[in-house]
Amino acid sequence: MSSKESYRVELRSAARQLSDRCLYSAAKWAAELLIDIEPDAHAPASSASSSAASARATPSTSSAARPLSHLHPAASAYRRRLRSAASSGDIAATPPAGVSYISTPVPDDDGFNSDGGNDRYLLAKSYFDCRDYRRAAHALRGQTGKKAGFLRCYALYLAGEKRKEEEMIELDGSLGKSDVVNSELISLERELSSLRRIGSIDSFGLYLYGLVLKDKGCESLAVTVFVESVNSFPWNWSAWSELQSLCTSTDTLNKLNLKNHWMKDFFLASAYQELKMHEEALKRYECLLGVFRSSDYIQSQIATALYSLRELDEAEVIFEDLLRNDPYRVESMDIYSNLLYAKECFSALSFLAHRVFLTDKYRPESCCIIANYYSLKGQHEKSVLYFRRALKLNRKYLSAWTLMGHEYVEMKNTPAAIDAYRRAIEINPRDYRAWYGLGQTYEVMNMPFYALYYFRKSSYLQPNDSRLWIAMAQCYESAPLQMLEEAIKCYTRAANSNDSEGIALHQLAKLHGVLGHSEQAAFFYKKDLERMEAEGRQGPNMVEAMLYLARYYKSEKKLEEAEFYCTRLLDYTGPERETAKSLLRGLRIAQTAFPSMDIGHFGS
Amino acid sequence: MAGGGSLKEGGSPVFDITPHKIAVCHLVQVFALHTQPDMPFAFQSISHHHRLGLFLFSLSRSCEGFLEPSLEELLNQLKALGGLAMLSEHLISNLLVLSSPDDLFNFFDKLRGVLAAPEGSSMEEEQTLLDPNSHLGIFVRCCILTFNMLPFEGVCHLFTNLVAYCNSNDSTYEMAEDDDFNGSEFHELLEDPEVDCEAAGLEEYGPENDAQAAENLTHIPSKFLSSFLEDIQASDDPRIKHGDGGSQSGGLVPLLNDNFRTDDNLGILRSRWQIEGYLNMQADLLEKDAISFPLYSFSASLRQLQKLAPELHRVRYLQYLNALYHNDYLSALDELHCYFDYSAGMEGLFSRSPSPSSEFEVGRYETALLCLGTLQCHFGHPKKALEALTEAVRISQQNNDDSCLAYTLAAICKLLSEIGISNMTGIIGSPYSLGTTTGLGTPLSTQQQLLVLLKRSLERADHLKLTNLLAFNHLALAKFDLKHVKKPLLSFGPKASMKLRTCPTSVCRELRLSSHVLSEFGADGLLQLNDTGAFSTSWLKNLSAVGNPWLKKLQKPRSLSVNDYDTFQFYAQPSPIPGSVLQLAGASYLLRATSWEHYGSAPLVRMNALVYATCFADAASSSELSLAYVKLIQHLSVFKGYTEAFIALKLAEDKFSVSSTHIQLLKLQLLHERALHRGNLQEAQQVCDQFGVLASSVTGVDMELKTEASLRHARTLLAANQFSQAAAVASNLFCTCYKFNMQVENATVLLLLAEIHKKSGDAVLGLSYVLASLSFCKTFNLDLLEASATVTLAELWLSLGSSHAKKASSLIYRALPMILGHGGLELRARANIAVVKCLLADPSYLVSEGPDAVLDPLSQASEELQILEYHEMAAEAFYLMAIVFNSLGRLDERENAAASFRKHVIALESPQDEDNLPTHGFQNYRHRSG
Repeated sequence: MSSKESYRVELRSAARQLSDRCLYSAAKWAAELLIDIEPDAHAPASSASSSAASARATPSTSSAARPLSHLHPAASAYRRRLRSAASSGDIAATPPAGVSYISTPVPDDDGFNSDGGNDRYLLAKSYFDCRDYRRAAHALRGQTGKKAGFLRCYALYLAGEKRKEEEMIELDGSLGKSDVVNSELISLERELSSLRRIGSIDSFGLYLYGLVLKDKGCESLAVTVFVESVNSFPWNWSAWSELQSLCTSTDTLNKLNLKNHWMKDFFLASAYQELKMHEEALKRYECLLGVFRSSDYIQSQIATALYSLRELDEAEVIFEDLLRNDPYRVESMDIYSNLLYAKECFSALSFLAHRVFLTDKYRPESCCIIANYYSLKGQHEKSVLYFRRALKLNRKYLSAWTLMGHEYVEMKNTPAAIDAYRRAIEINPRDYRAWYGLGQTYEVMNMPFYALYYFRKSSYLQPNDSRLWIAMAQCYESAPLQMLEEAIKCYTRAANSNDSEGIALHQLAKLHGVLGHSEQAAFFYKKDLERMEAEGRQGPNMVEAMLYLARYYKSEKKLEEAEFYCTRLLDYTGPERETAKSLLRGLRIAQTAFPSMDIGHFGS
Repeated sequence: MAGGGSLKEGGSPVFDITPHKIAVCHLVQVFALHTQPDMPFAFQSISHHHRLGLFLFSLSRSCEGFLEPSLEELLNQLKALGGLAMLSEHLISNLLVLSSPDDLFNFFDKLRGVLAAPEGSSMEEEQTLLDPNSHLGIFVRCCILTFNMLPFEGVCHLFTNLVAYCNSNDSTYEMAEDDDFNGSEFHELLEDPEVDCEAAGLEEYGPENDAQAAENLTHIPSKFLSSFLEDIQASDDPRIKHGDGGSQSGGLVPLLNDNFRTDDNLGILRSRWQIEGYLNMQADLLEKDAISFPLYSFSASLRQLQKLAPELHRVRYLQYLNALYHNDYLSALDELHCYFDYSAGMEGLFSRSPSPSSEFEVGRYETALLCLGTLQCHFGHPKKALEALTEAVRISQQNNDDSCLAYTLAAICKLLSEIGISNMTGIIGSPYSLGTTTGLGTPLSTQQQLLVLLKRSLERADHLKLTNLLAFNHLALAKFDLKHVKKPLLSFGPKASMKLRTCPTSVCRELRLSSHVLSEFGADGLLQLNDTGAFSTSWLKNLSAVGNPWLKKLQKPRSLSVNDYDTFQFYAQPSPIPGSVLQLAGASYLLRATSWEHYGSAPLVRMNALVYATCFADAASSSELSLAYVKLIQHLSVFKGYTEAFIALKLAEDKFSVSSTHIQLLKLQLLHERALHRGNLQEAQQVCDQFGVLASSVTGVDMELKTEASLRHARTLLAANQFSQAAAVASNLFCTCYKFNMQVENATVLLLLAEIHKKSGDAVLGLSYVLASLSFCKTFNLDLLEASATVTLAELWLSLGSSHAKKASSLIYRALPMILGHGGLELRARANIAVVKCLLADPSYLVSEGPDAVLDPLSQASEELQILEYHEMAAEAFYLMAIVFNSLGRLDERENAAASFRKHVIALESPQDEDNLPTHGFQNYRHRSG
């Protein structure tokens, strides 16, 4: 039996378990992935192959696995049968070569002792589906069993969350900060922690317990609990992503004690991406793509990573593909809009905005895309309006805060910009773009020294980004500060970290020239020139570099090089050309003078 | 630090209704309607009634702690009032009656009846209704208004909170009757006109809160709070309820706090205005005495406050101050930027009313830069500080913020004068910022620039009527006069006015100007309008202290720098004069002490330092206070010897933390002097090295410390009889002092050079140095130094031969009045010995004729030198004594003197025998400066 088949079996059972516990987004994720598994080359269709595979393992399941009737009332019966299939499949599963995954048996559902209990669960679940959370919890009161217990606690948690959202609006403007908390947290924590102590808690309960702990701010314990949860039931993507949001540094990530399940690769990839280790993330995703060939999720993550690596064109191709496959997709389309914004594709961006608007206009992503469009059009007020709407829908939407800050900077409303950036930093203190934005704001206000603090912060968080170093250098270089030595240090850092626009080299050359370090200046001018030639660019910088080099070599008595640059200068128009001519004339004279002098030397 | 009184900030609750306020309203109701027949009880006397009124007034104004007191605390306070036992029960029963939201509506309806009709309508005789414009009247009106603006959700929240509030009170309180409380002075207070004017002040808040109160109620779900508290329980800190410790029974505090935590009853905010008052109080306390604020627990309580009132950015400022005074550079920097990012500099630090900002929403970040500058200065980064301040100058010029500009200039002056920067050209002298007053663009020396800046700042402060700043500038000018020669600003032309005005009288004149200015302190915007809040707080504290006299003993004086006279007065009555004013006024006394120190009058130094330490300790920052102590201890060491000085030093060290630089320096100075006197040269050299390490390694910075270090180095070398090296060090030092225009030090160094040559036997060369030093002293009014130089001169003449004895003795006699009046032990002894030597060298004097003329000074000198443990000179004195006795033929006494001589010589040669003060403590200092 192929490993793909085992993936399929695992995911299928997991999706059903998750949706049975009303963990809908995790169920959605699992189901998406299930579809995306590449069909086996030798098997014609997935359903057939799966049934065949399961038939091989345990003949009794073959009939049950085929029709996935969601509406079947006695779902648990199917599940039980499917479980046996999955577990036997696990035993047979052979991990792909080179990777040894731990096979995790799909855990038991606790069966209900009586039909009455099952019925109650059904009632509670339908209440839950109608969003009557408290009624759901009430319906399950006194029910024992892990599943019922979980749903009751989960319903309570969601009820508390709902009340929290309401109170937020009652007590404050919706954009203001608020300190309202879920009032159920304490009782939930008490119950779940005692359950965990006596060991009668399953992975879903642990996931919920982790959520509660995270909301309460006990983060280290929350990490432990999430790890326990994903180790016993790895297919709950929500648990993984909560865990990932708690891993704010590589250290914590490396310290996690995770079983080597294939879901761990998804987790690591997304964690690497959050930690800005884009290359590592890309590697993982490409690996995963081998199995989940047509996964939109992986594709979108790859595109996001590429975008972060400034590989705009490649990312754009992937995003276009994604939209073609799934025209109603909204997730990660905000990244695509950022990309289009960066490429200044007006029409494509407007097309995208129109599309998501029709799909679901009250999604934070859609608002963000529309805001991006207005921003590109230069209508910053409207852009701010849509960003605000996005933030109203999700006040923890990091990039929207930062982008709104940019808009306010454009509108010269510096206090508002600063406030927006600060909000972003509150959400994630490691967001270098917000720090950078703050620095820029203060620079705009003509306070370069004050701005330095922020640039320093941002370059500390993103040490290999040349733009940040250049911004810092420009501060040092600015008229009020004139700290050229420091500026040179920053430009050197920028030049060493892949400065694509080549500002750093040029500025380095210029500053060295100003400071009279002619040797270094010549070195950098030459490097800059080489870079421009390699990229096939033209421009005033080129002329400047050549002129300097010509003069430098002349003063260094390297007449041939000087002549070389002078003659090249003759290709350009403008006053430099005349200068070059006169330089050339001087060179000729020197050249004729030199040998005679030498002769004179020898003569004497 | 003034409160940023801006009410403009969007969405901030000015007033919100809380269970505590309901309780107070209820008490107000009782207070106002006590004559009505349906009231269940009557007041025992009119004074009881007034006492309750004053209590309510204080409750509504006090600003200790940022959380409102719990019901239990309120009841305790009521109990302390005495004679109102019925009232407590009445209050509880009435609060318990409120059992549904509707009861709340009824309660507030009834409360309306307390207020008298606005005006004009006739007042019935029987009822004491509240004047709607009185303080309490406005309080009640605010409460009613806020309640009426509440949406139903708000009423529900209020109701839940009220239930929790009542439940928190264990019904196990008992009513103790102790009626030793004298209410007479409260009657006077009650009639205080201030009440009315404050009430008028509060009225401004009224309309503001109409608009906002409704949706802005910050009722914090109490469960959240308790969970938060559980989290910080690990670092269990008494300061969460800062200041409350005083108002409740001390022994119960931990227990009570635990109760609160479980009972979910902390989520009650006071009005924003009261919190600001609280924050200002904390800021003042922090500045005064940072040690008593544990870094983490205070910042934990600030974080709690921040959660309760996220729109109060000032909390971040307190965080910044907290980090600053605990020397946490990184977090101070972070908090500073954070504060100004959020407040946009609009919570003016200087002016309570932000300048009429016509420009749309431009933040006033120049204050941020100013703070950044002082931060960098505090942490010893003068260059960065200067960059920040220059930028502040530029931005405040750009934004027309004159007052900030003036303050910035003053900050630059402080930076220049305190730290000193060797080369300022290119920073401050650049054309776009400053220094263009001369119009010539010639590079000015640091001192010249300082003077220019001071003058500019002074003018500006005068112009803007910033009295505090004006006083500060006068002080700074006086300081400048003390230290620096006034050169003409232009680098050419006649150098006529080359005069150092170290004369104490001229300094005092400048100082008098400053204190004169200070008497008008009311005019400056810096001052807080909040002082009655502090009064109310302390009134409540007094209440509890008087109520439970045994408590008074438990409350150990929390702050080290409370004025001594406070203990005689009523407990912790705050001074009516704002702290900042007191601080400046106090600084003038310190400066006076310094000026007299230069002049050389020890008694006056002591007097001024004493005045400072006793009268201004309240307002002083710990560094300034430690300076005053240093001066006093120095005085002790010079006049009473080292034993006493070290005892005093020990006390001072206990009082201030080890980190106080002044105290550290003093310790090193004392150790060095003593080691020199005892002849323990190794130790002296060690201490010298430590001095050198303390100074910054940047050239031109910490000049005074460096000068002192090399001065002491030279003296150590001199004591070790390494004359050529000592002379080399001293002349090097002279060059440095000359380069940096340190004229006062020049005189000292010249004198030292003279001493070196005297000791090495080159009297002629010594003469020239001592004469130069004398002329410096005369020019700069350094009278005591002049006297000392005169003695040296006399000694030099003496060493040239007995023919000069006459001249020498006349010189000494001329200096004697000054020496005996103001000089320390050492100088006096030296003068006495010199007198004796002169006499002995005088051929016309015969010992046998008037032995007392020699013996008296000698015995006096030997006594004084023994106190100082100055073995070398003591030996000399005894030697002379022995000779005299010998020639008189008094053999027993001769033997005694000889034995003492021997003892001192031995002690000098083997200094290790004596008790060494432990030197192991010095590793700390190295760490610090490293």
